[in-house]
Parts: sequence; structure tokens; C-alpha cells
Amino acid sequence: MIVLKQKIKKFGECCRDSSWQVRLSAVFMGGGQICYGRPAKGILLLFAEISILTYFITRGWRDIQGFFTLGTQKGDAWLGIEGDNSVVMLLMGIFAWIVIGVFIALYRLNLKDVYHMQKRKEQGKQLLTFREEAAQLLDKKFYVTVLVLPVIGVCIFNILPIVFMILIAFTNYGGDIVPPELVDWVGFDNFKKLATLSQFAPTFFKILGWNLVWAFISTVLNYFAGLGLALLLDKKCVKGKAFWRAFPILAYAIPGFITLMAFKFMFSYGGPINQMIVANGGTAIGFLDLDAKWTARLIGFLVNCWISVPSIMLLATGYLSNRDVTLYEAARIDGASRWKQFQKITMPFMLFSTTPVLLGQFTGNFNNFGIFYFLRGGLYLDGYFLASDTDLLINWLYNLSIDNNYYCIGAAISLIIFMITSVISLMVYIKSPSYREEDTFQ
Amino acid sequence: MRKKWKLGHTIDTGVTYIILIAVAIIFFFPCLWLILASFSKSGTIYSFDGFFPTEYSLASFKKLFTDTTLYNYPKWFLNTLFVATGSCILGTFLVILTAYTMSRFEFKARKPMMKTTMVLGMFPSFMGMTAVYLLMTQFNLINHLWGLILIYAAGAPMGYLTQKGFFDTIPKAIDEAARIDGATNFQIFTKINLPLSKPIIVYTALTSITWPWSDFILPKLLLKEKDLYTVAVGLMSLDETEFARFAAGSVFIAVPIVVLYFFLVKDMVNGMAQGAVKG
Repeated sequence: MIVLKQKIKKFGECCRDSSWQVRLSAVFMGGGQICYGRPAKGILLLFAEISILTYFITRGWRDIQGFFTLGTQKGDAWLGIEGDNSVVMLLMGIFAWIVIGVFIALYRLNLKDVYHMQKRKEQGKQLLTFREEAAQLLDKKFYVTVLVLPVIGVCIFNILPIVFMILIAFTNYGGDIVPPELVDWVGFDNFKKLATLSQFAPTFFKILGWNLVWAFISTVLNYFAGLGLALLLDKKCVKGKAFWRAFPILAYAIPGFITLMAFKFMFSYGGPINQMIVANGGTAIGFLDLDAKWTARLIGFLVNCWISVPSIMLLATGYLSNRDVTLYEAARIDGASRWKQFQKITMPFMLFSTTPVLLGQFTGNFNNFGIFYFLRGGLYLDGYFLASDTDLLINWLYNLSIDNNYYCIGAAISLIIFMITSVISLMVYIKSPSYREEDTFQ
Repeated sequence: MRKKWKLGHTIDTGVTYIILIAVAIIFFFPCLWLILASFSKSGTIYSFDGFFPTEYSLASFKKLFTDTTLYNYPKWFLNTLFVATGSCILGTFLVILTAYTMSRFEFKARKPMMKTTMVLGMFPSFMGMTAVYLLMTQFNLINHLWGLILIYAAGAPMGYLTQKGFFDTIPKAIDEAARIDGATNFQIFTKINLPLSKPIIVYTALTSITWPWSDFILPKLLLKEKDLYTVAVGLMSLDETEFARFAAGSVFIAVPIVVLYFFLVKDMVNGMAQGAVKG
């Protein structure tokens, strides 16, 4: 609150002592800059203002309206009426909001810049030329130059779709209601349905419980197996490290879907394991069958280990080679045992450098789509709504939204998944050393 | 005393090796199984004797490349190669730049940006995909390979944390020394940190080539024409009885990437930062 008050006060002061150039810039972006003798920058800013205004006059305004109404005119092929497409309207609406955001940011930048020029003039300093400012982009402001492309890419292909889906979670889009039908805002109805409707609720809670168990166990399993393997290979007595390392790398290098499909074949009725059982006089076991709840889950854990351990091992090896060897020498001189060294030096260092990885592993496992999609994909069990007892939330999401068009319910589930993973990881991350003490090991 | 120590040492070594051998078998056996299956003569899994085929031939591979009417494997392979290479180059470039900036620069938006990417990363990757799918259908952008490249590359910077972790471990002392010598930030990056970060670049390139190489969700959603399939989608569309063909196709696309890994993995594990500070 106090910070805000100070800001307002400071803003007021700036307003009062601003020159006419600054005021010109407040109306025509870039105007002040031109008057201060920096035409290139001024014209760029002015051009930006004009083009954004043109966009809003020609269509932006209608897009914003469409965002709220999601269409009023239903299409009718008989009468030749081309109706409103709610989905496109929603999308263009989001786009219009983004343009407003960009405009505000630019406007602020413009005012700041021209005010800065005024201050420099008053202090009798030379204004930076356009060329000098451009040169700064490779030095002082190098980060701006570098981050432009990634930020734009992430905005278009990550943020926009996510925002879109968040909004979808509050509409009734899906099922029968797809364009040309009109979509409407329904508030929290989808979440209520998930928690209370007998169609969704039991499935949802059963899957959620299993999902948490799965994510936790497989993360711990993979992490310690990977780290253990890396430490094992790091031991002095191991000769031919490259040779031993080759096997996990081989497993790592094989594309995941091949591994998964191969394992599915291996455990299938006609697969080699069952063939051997039959040949020895047993009856074939349906490892991944409808009623194979825990065998299927166990196979899931093991297969996931097979796939994920090598990557963690490689990463851990990389980090291990970066650690400070002198610490170990000092510890040895002080008479620390190997276990003590592991406990006091290796583990803190590894936890420090791999916390992000560990978190990534957790969310990755929580949303591990591939494993059960390949091993037991497409099974719908009794007692579950369009899902099976090994399906994770993400698999259910797929079944609902891609296979069965329940878009809005799917989006609501995505939001719930997001909330769970985010709460858990944020807590862990903020408490972790790599966030609090970024410089410890530098 | 000395003897006892030696005995303990021998046991330790022995146990280490036993574990290593077990690990090797666990990882190698399924691969061996798949490779041998791809050379089976009959082509179906039902004629196998236990894990391995009874007779071997190259028939499956021949069929894979010549019998293209139903399953056009060569075309799928080229598609995959195109998508993977494109997104690898673009993606690596973006990730390294992002990670480096996040590790080395202090600016106002840094912490908020780190938090944002972390929050974004917690949305199920799938959620975006349903949206991307919906958007792509709305705008008729289904069935374009470059669309896939764009999506893969643009999503790549989100996974910058591993790379940032690496840059964090390169001592800043080197940067400061260079800055005193009058180097700009651009020069510090290109002349000092970039050469030092070869291992992480290789790691990034590898991971960003394997993702599109083996992803099946996105291509499955966005590519509806059989001729545009990537290998992953194509192999998934194979009939269940065609196990040998599946094995052959898998072995064929796994080989280049495995070879690549073995060539480059050394760069990855050898961090060079310490050498640079000491030397």
C-alpha cells in the first residue's frame, strides 16, 4: 500500500515538472522524441500507435465485444445466414486483449523514455544517439535482445493456448455444443459437475488418488536409482566406465514410444513371457488385462524406471563432474568416511543442482501420458467414466477431450491438474536451496 | 589391518561389478529382443520360440522399404528427419540463449519470468495441445510439417532450467575478468561462455532432437494424411500382427539416434568449468 502511494506521489511530481515534449509524447507517442532530435525512435513509436489504433477501429472493438457475448447470431444453412463462430470469437477476443496489453506497455515505455531524455537535457548531458542505444542492446541490455524471440514464441504457442483452455473451462463448449452451435459462459458449472455429478465424481477421485501415488513413487524411485547408478559408475574401482555407461545410454537413446510398444508386446497374451509360461505348462497371464489392476500398475512403474533412469543418470554424471574435488580431499584429510562424504557433500550439492530436475520429474510423472496410453490405452472399465484403473488424470483428459469431445470438462480437469502440481512444486521449490541461495555453489 | 582393508575393498569392487552386470542386462535385453525380432523370417510374434525367432532373414527390412502402398515407411522417415532437424536447430538456439540470460543477468523481469515459466510448465502439456489442436482446426493449419516445427521450437525455451543450472555452475569470475578487459556482454557470451558450454549445447541439441523424433501425440493430432505421418505415428498405425515389421521400423529409426548419442555423450558428461578456472 505504502509503495503504491509513493509511486502515485512520484508520478504526480513527474507530471508537474514534465516539459512540453513529454506532454506531446503523452498524446502522440514518439512526438517528444522527435522534438528532442531523435526522429528514428519517434517515428517508430508513432507508427506503432497509429497501427494499433487502426486495428482497434477496424476490428479490435468488435473482437472485445465478441469475447463477452461469444456470438449472438446462430448460423443457419437453410436461410443462408452465416452465424457467429464462438470459438473464433473467443480466440480473437483474447488476441485483442493482448494487443491492449502491448499498447499499454509501449505507452509506458514511451513516456519513461521521453522523461528520461528531459532529465538528461536538464542535467546538461548529451542524449544517447539511436546508434548508441542500439549498441547497448549487445551489452548492457543484451538480455532484451536475447529474450525477444523466446518470449514471443512462448506467448503464441504456450500462453495463448493455455489461456484459451482456461477460458474454455468456464464455458459449455463440447459435446453437442460445438460451432455452428453457440457457446456460452457458464461460470464454475464444470467444476461443480466434476465434484458432485455421479457421472464424473467417483472416477475423478479414484483417478486422482492413484495419480498422486504414481507420481510420488515413480519420482523417488527414478531419482535415487539414477543418482545411485551415476555414483556407482563414478567409483574409482570401475574400469571401462564408457562400456558400462553404454547400456543405459542405449536405453535412453531408443525413442520412448518404441520401448513402450515393445514392452506391451512383451507382456501381451501372445508375447514371449506368456509363451514361456505356456510352454512350461502354465496358463497365460493377462498382465495388462481388464482385471489386472496391480500387475499393470507394477509393470508401469518398472517400465517408467527403464525409460527415465538413464536420463537422470546422465544428468547426475554431468553435475558430478562439475563438483569441487578439493572439498573431498579436505574431507578425506579430516578423516570423513565415504558415507559421511556422500551425506555432507555429495547429497547437498546434488540436491542443490537438481531440484529443478526433481520438480520437473515430479510434474512429468504426474502427467506421464505415454506409459499407460501405450500399455493399456483405450480401455474403459466399469466403475470408471471413460477411463481405466491405471489411467492417470492426463489419460482421462485425453479420453474425454480428444476421443469424446468433452472439451469443457477436459479443460476443467486440466486446471485441477495444474493446481495440484503447482501447489506441490511451488512449496518444494521455494523451500529448496537452489531458489533461496542461488550463489552457494558458484 | 592392511589386509582387512584390502579384503573389504575387493568385496566392494565385486559387488559393484555384480550390480553393473545386472544393470547392463536389464537395459540390454529388451533391445536385443527387438533387434533379433526385426530379423525374424516369419514376421509374426507367434512363431517365436520363447523370446527369440527361430529363423532369421532380412525380409522384414526389405518389406519395410519396398512395400509402401499401405505403410509408406521411407516417406515417414523423411518427414521425421525434417521435423526433428528443424526443431532441433531452432529449439537449441532459443533454449541456450534463454538459459544463459536467466543465469547471468539481473533485471527486473527476471524473477517474475522464472516464476511464470515454472507456473506454465505445471499446466499439463496436453492442455495446450488440445487448444493448439482446436486452434489449428479452426484455421485449417492441420497437415503441415512446419507447423510441428514451430510448435516444438517455440515450446523449447520453457525447459531452460537444466541449462540454467549448468550456466550457474560456470564461475562468474571469468565474466568479471573479461568485463574488466573491456568485453561487452555479447562478447562475453560468444567468446567465453559459448565455448565453455559445449557439453550443455550438445545435451540440449540431443534432447531437442529426440523429442520430435519420438513424439507421437502432437503429430497424431495434427497430421491426418498418411503420407505426412512421422515414423512414430506410422508405426503406431501398424497392424498388431506385423510385429517384425514394427521391430524393423523401430530398429531403423533408433539406430541413427543411438549412434548420435554415443558420439556426443562424452561432451555431455565432461563439465569443463573447473578446468577453465584453474587453468
